[in-house]
Amino acid sequence: MRFKMRSLSFSLAALAVLWTGWAPDAAAAPKGFLETIHRHAMVASTSPGNGDLNPYAIFLVPQDMGVLKKDEVLVTNFNNISNLQGTGTTIIAYSPVTKTSRLFASAPANLAACPGGIGFTTAMTILKSGWVIVGSTPSKDGTTGTKGDGCLLVFDSNGKFTEAWKGPLITGPWGDIASIDNGDTAVLFISMAAAGLPAPDVRDPVTHYPPILHNATVLRFNLHIPPGQAPVLDKQTVIASGFAGRADRDNFLFGPTGLALDTDGTLYVTDGYDEEVTAIDNAVNRTEPVTRQNDAVGRIITKGGLLNWPLAMIWVPGHHLLVANGRNGQVVEIDPDAKKQIYAQWIDSDQAQQPPGNGDLFGLAMTPDNRGFYYVEDDMNTLNVSLP
Amino acid sequence: MVNLGNAAAAGEESSQGVFGFLDNWKRSANLLGNMWGLRSELGKAGLVLAVQETSEVFGNPAGGMRRGADYDGLTVAVLQMNTQRAFGWYGGTFQVSMEQVHGRNLSADNLDAYQTISGIEADRSTRLWELWFDQKLLDQQALDIKIGQQSLDQEWMVSSNALVFANTMFGWPMVPSADLPGGGPAYPLSALGARAKYWITTPLYVQAGIFSGSPAHDTSGDAQQSNRSGTSFVLNRGIMAIMEFQYVYPGLGAMVSPDEGEALSRIYRIGGWYDSEPFADQYWDNTGTPLASPDSSGIALTHRGAFSFYAVADQMLWRSHVDPNRTFNVFGRVMGTPQADRVPIDFSMNFGFTFKDPLPYRQDDTLGLAMGYTHVSSALGNYDRAVHKYSGAYSPAQGGETYIELMYQCQMTGWLQLQPDFQYIFNPSGGVPNPLHPERRIGNIAVLGLRSNIAF
Repeated sequence: MRFKMRSLSFSLAALAVLWTGWAPDAAAAPKGFLETIHRHAMVASTSPGNGDLNPYAIFLVPQDMGVLKKDEVLVTNFNNISNLQGTGTTIIAYSPVTKTSRLFASAPANLAACPGGIGFTTAMTILKSGWVIVGSTPSKDGTTGTKGDGCLLVFDSNGKFTEAWKGPLITGPWGDIASIDNGDTAVLFISMAAAGLPAPDVRDPVTHYPPILHNATVLRFNLHIPPGQAPVLDKQTVIASGFAGRADRDNFLFGPTGLALDTDGTLYVTDGYDEEVTAIDNAVNRTEPVTRQNDAVGRIITKGGLLNWPLAMIWVPGHHLLVANGRNGQVVEIDPDAKKQIYAQWIDSDQAQQPPGNGDLFGLAMTPDNRGFYYVEDDMNTLNVSLP
Repeated sequence: MVNLGNAAAAGEESSQGVFGFLDNWKRSANLLGNMWGLRSELGKAGLVLAVQETSEVFGNPAGGMRRGADYDGLTVAVLQMNTQRAFGWYGGTFQVSMEQVHGRNLSADNLDAYQTISGIEADRSTRLWELWFDQKLLDQQALDIKIGQQSLDQEWMVSSNALVFANTMFGWPMVPSADLPGGGPAYPLSALGARAKYWITTPLYVQAGIFSGSPAHDTSGDAQQSNRSGTSFVLNRGIMAIMEFQYVYPGLGAMVSPDEGEALSRIYRIGGWYDSEPFADQYWDNTGTPLASPDSSGIALTHRGAFSFYAVADQMLWRSHVDPNRTFNVFGRVMGTPQADRVPIDFSMNFGFTFKDPLPYRQDDTLGLAMGYTHVSSALGNYDRAVHKYSGAYSPAQGGETYIELMYQCQMTGWLQLQPDFQYIFNPSGGVPNPLHPERRIGNIAVLGLRSNIAF
C-alpha cells in the first residue's frame, strides 16, 4: 500500500509538470531572476486596528532608526475600513523577527496642507536620515469624483507626522518613489496621476468608458536635509508629462505607477493604461520634460505582451526589472537593455478574481538578501513573500 | 454565498448618526455599513460578521401541476474568527453560521420537478448551519484541515461559474441530492466530519474527508424536519467518505513565457464519494418480489452503501484585450453511479456559459445561459412500468428531465444584486403523472423570476 501511494505521488508530480506546460531546462543557464523563485507565503496582515484596507506601497527599512529596525517592512493602506479608496491613513510595520505587524504611523483624515483629505498611495520612501515620505491621493467617497490634489507627508522615524508638501504640480502623488539619497541631500521621483480626472461615472460617448486624459506627469523633487531637521523641499521639476490617466469605478484610476532609476540616470516608468514601460533619459539633470509622442512618453522599452496594467516596478538581480500586473496575479521580468520581456510568474492565483489575481497586486520590494521579494495581496490585505 | 469580504469592508460611516450609513450608500459594500460600530468592535477581536438576505419571487405562467407564483427568502449570518488577529494563533479560522428560511417553495407547490428552480428553497426554519475550525499547516500553508459541522456544497464538486445561476442543481448536484440520506450534508443541512486539503504540487491539490453518513438521525422522513434546529450532530449513522483531485491553472508559482497565448484560467476536478448507509432497492422488496406487486411486503430490499463518481470543469474561453474583466467561460459537471438498483437518480449533469462584464463598463455583471439534465435510474423506471402492469393505472416510466436557465446578474450597488431569471423545464420529474390530473404527465414548465441579494 505504501509503495502504491508513493507511486501515485510520483505520477501526480510528473503529470503536474506536463500540465504546467513549462519546465526550465535544468542544464541551461538561468535567463533571469523569476525562475529562481519557488516559494510563496503569506507573512502578515496589513490591516491595522482602525480597519484600514487595501495595502499599496512596500518599503524596506534600511537601518535601525527611531522605532524602526533594520529589515522591517513598511506598508501603506489606501482604503479605510469602509473600503473606500483614497481614504487610508495608516502605515504598518512588519517585523520579520517577531513575524507580526503593528501600526507605525497614521495621519489625521484632514490636514490643511493636504487638499482633499488623506489616502496613502504606492509613493513611499525612507531616507537615510530616518524621514519617511509618503504620497497621498485622497477621495471622500472612494472615487475620483471627490478626489483632492493630495500632498506628500513627512513622518519621522518614530511615526510622528512632521509636515506636508503641496503645490500646483502635486496633483495626486501616486507611484513608487525612486530616489538618490546622499544623506544631506536627496532627489525623489514621483508620478502624479490624478490631474483633471473626472468622476468614474463620466463616460466617453464613443467608448462608453471614462475618458482617457494625458495629464499625468513625473516630478523630480530636490531636497536638502539639515542635520536633525525635517527635509526641505528646494525644487520641483516636471521631467515627463503626458502619461495616460483614466478614472475607474473599481480601481480608482489608471496612471503611471512604477518608477525605477538606473545608475546612468535613466528613469523607467510603467504607464499602466498604455501597458508599456518607457525610459526617461537624463532624469536626474533634465530641465525640460519629455512629452508624449507617438502614444508614449519617453523611449518605449516594452509594450503589451505579458504586461497587464503594469504597476509597481523594482530592480532584481541581473539588471532586470520586475513589474507587478494589476489585472492579473503575475509579476513580469523585463530586461531593459535588450528591451524584452523575459517571462512572468503567477504569484497570486486567486480564482475568485477574473482573471485570477485581478486587482490584487500593487507594491513590490526586494528582501534584504536580494534573493526574494515582498508583495501585497489586496484581496486578502496581507503582506506576502516570494523566495527561492 | 455570503461575501465575507464585503463584511470585512464595512464602513464606519454609521457612526455619523443613526442614519449615517446611508451617506455613502452608492459606494458602500454593506447596506448597514459598520452596523453602528458593531463590526469594528468585532474586528478588534479578529471577528468578521456577514449577514446576507436572498429574496426572490418565482412564478410559472405555463406548465407544472398548477400555475402561480411564490416568494421565498433566506437570511444567512456568518461569524468568522481569524485566530491570528484574535489571539496570535497562526493559520486558524473558526466559523459559525446560521440560516433563516422563509416564504414558500414554488418547486414543491406548483412544479413537481426533480431539479428545483432555486438553490435557497428549503423548509421554513431557523437553524445552525455550519460550525467548524480550519487550520492551515506546513510551509506555504500546503495542508489545510477543517473539523466540525460542515455543509459539503460549500467546497466539494463546486463549479465556480455555475454558482451564479439560481437552479439548485448548479450548486449541490442532483445525484447526491436525490440519492444520499436526507439529501446529503448540504444546504440547508450539514454534518459532522473532518477534511484535509493538501497542495501536492503546482497545479495539483487533493482533498479528502469523512463525514457522518446522514445529516439527520431519522432518515425515513424529511431530514430537514427531523433536524429542524441543525443541532442533531449525528454520529451514529455510518460514514460518508469523499475524495477530490483538483487541477488549478494558474497555480501559484507557474511560469509564463512571453510567446505563450493568453492565459486562460481553468479548474478541473474529479472525485467520488461512498456512503455506508443502507440504500433501498428501487424495484425489489425484501422477499424478492417487485415492490409494485400486490404481493410485495412493501419493505424494500436494502443494500449496504452506495458510491458515485464525478467530474467538474471550469474553463475560461476568451478574455477581452480592451477590458480584461470581460471574459467568456464554460463549465460542465457530470456525476453518476453504476448502482442504479439502489438509487432513484443514476446520472446528472450541468453545462453552461457565463459572460462576465457583458456590457461596456459593467465589470461586476454576469450574463449566463446553462442547462441541467438528470436521468432516473432504470430500476425506478422499471418500477413505474410494474405499477402499470400490476394496477393498470397510468404510470409512464420515468426517464430524463432537462432544464435550461437564462439569467442576468446585475450589481446595482456594492451591497445589492438583482437577477432576472428564466427557466424552462422539459419532462418534469422524468415524466410523472400530474397529481391533480393523474391521466396525463406534468407539462413542460416555464418559470420567470427575480432574485435579489442584499449584503447587510
